[in-house]
Amino acid sequence: MRLLTHNMLSSNIKGVTNGFPLGIEVEKVIEKQVDFNPDFLKNMFLKIEWKALVDASRSLGYAELPEEAPDSSLIHSEDFLRKFHHAILELHLEEGALVCPQTGRKFPVNKGIPNMLLHEDEV
Amino acid sequence: MKEINVQGASSLCTLGSDGEYNVQDSVSTSEDRICSSLSVKVTPELEKKYVHHVYDAIAPHFSSTRFAKWPKVASFLNTLPLGSLVLDAGCGNGKYLGLNPDCFFVGCDISATLIKICADRGNEVFVADAVNLPYRTGFSDAAISIAVLHHLSTEKRRKKAIEELVRVVKKGGLVLITVWAVEQEDKSLLTKWTPLNQKYVEEWIGPGSPRIRSPSSMALQSIPETEENRFLGEHGKDSKENLTERVWESMCLTSPSEDNSVISKDEKTIMDQQEYFVPWHLPYHRAEVSGASACALASGLAKKDDKKGAVVYNRYYHVFSEGELERLVSDMDNAVIVDRFFDKSNWCIIVEKTS
Repeated sequence: MRLLTHNMLSSNIKGVTNGFPLGIEVEKVIEKQVDFNPDFLKNMFLKIEWKALVDASRSLGYAELPEEAPDSSLIHSEDFLRKFHHAILELHLEEGALVCPQTGRKFPVNKGIPNMLLHEDEV
Repeated sequence: MKEINVQGASSLCTLGSDGEYNVQDSVSTSEDRICSSLSVKVTPELEKKYVHHVYDAIAPHFSSTRFAKWPKVASFLNTLPLGSLVLDAGCGNGKYLGLNPDCFFVGCDISATLIKICADRGNEVFVADAVNLPYRTGFSDAAISIAVLHHLSTEKRRKKAIEELVRVVKKGGLVLITVWAVEQEDKSLLTKWTPLNQKYVEEWIGPGSPRIRSPSSMALQSIPETEENRFLGEHGKDSKENLTERVWESMCLTSPSEDNSVISKDEKTIMDQQEYFVPWHLPYHRAEVSGASACALASGLAKKDDKKGAVVYNRYYHVFSEGELERLVSDMDNAVIVDRFFDKSNWCIIVEKTS
């Protein structure tokens, strides 16, 4: 699971009003190279919830992103874009779990695949 | 709108104190409304047995037959703006993930087996339910639902799935939805499917709902998105009658005959019927690979057809009539239909999120 995906996932358990961002339990992280596409990155930059991304990338061992939400002029900096690219596309949580911030319920991640299915009593 | 609690095959049968199984009739439709207390997000037994378990069992074989990219879906994806994020809800084997190399795709499906196949191809995917998507609202640029909604057994669930697709895209975002049509271009297909007795369908649309009859002749050539092998849908008969067979037959409008002859109906009856079991023939050499088939055979969910050398599964479908998709969208206050078409025996709409 990439951090771009993590940034768009939210706990949809019944009764949960604040399901984002999901906490991350890390067991295994891998890196996979992805082609650099500035147009795509600029589009994603407008959508991303910055603090969630910074926290998530740190939990996966990557601390290069600026703590503060950068202003949009930064998207013209290739150096910034490459770090952003690395964080959202090249880091993979292979094994671990995503954690509902309100209930603590864990959604397992195995072989890079999160299982977000709810049990019947959670819908 | 009347609602009737669905009875899956197993819950129809009770083991009495005399050790005999009894097949119970489900509640007749002439009775007063019985409101389903189940949330629209809870998966009905019918779908668990005849959609989820089936796809899990047939996944590799199914995936090997799903490679042709429909031009209409391809053109929708290829005309999206550069750098778009596209969500595919019910992505199956991931056929469309990455189709447009300038877009980023995230796929989800309820079948972990199919998702594994997607992931092995390098796609960004996860396991989730299309009726309850775990995405933040308004994040995506576009979404697609290709041949998915016809596996949902109630109108409420089909509506909910559409609402979810619209919810997850941004304002101005587009959603493409395709579903199997009642009005199949190859009419002989309908005779190979097994119609379900409507009393086993969970929810009635209601007798007054408008249903537009399509023209009876569709002269288009098609490459329908159906399984590659088309046999008569009737399953072979065992020499001894077993419980599952009785339940099976009571669920279906017609019983399979000894010689597998096609039972003809007049066209009006065919057009009114929208609930079907559509067979999938899993060749024996494929079935051995998956332990799911042994289980399915033991529980009566699938049957062996020695003549064809295949395990026969049935998939549940609610095929859509002309205008039905539009009707589901019509009372949404945040979406408008921007295109509608019939393509290769599928009804298709493109919806834009307006607010």
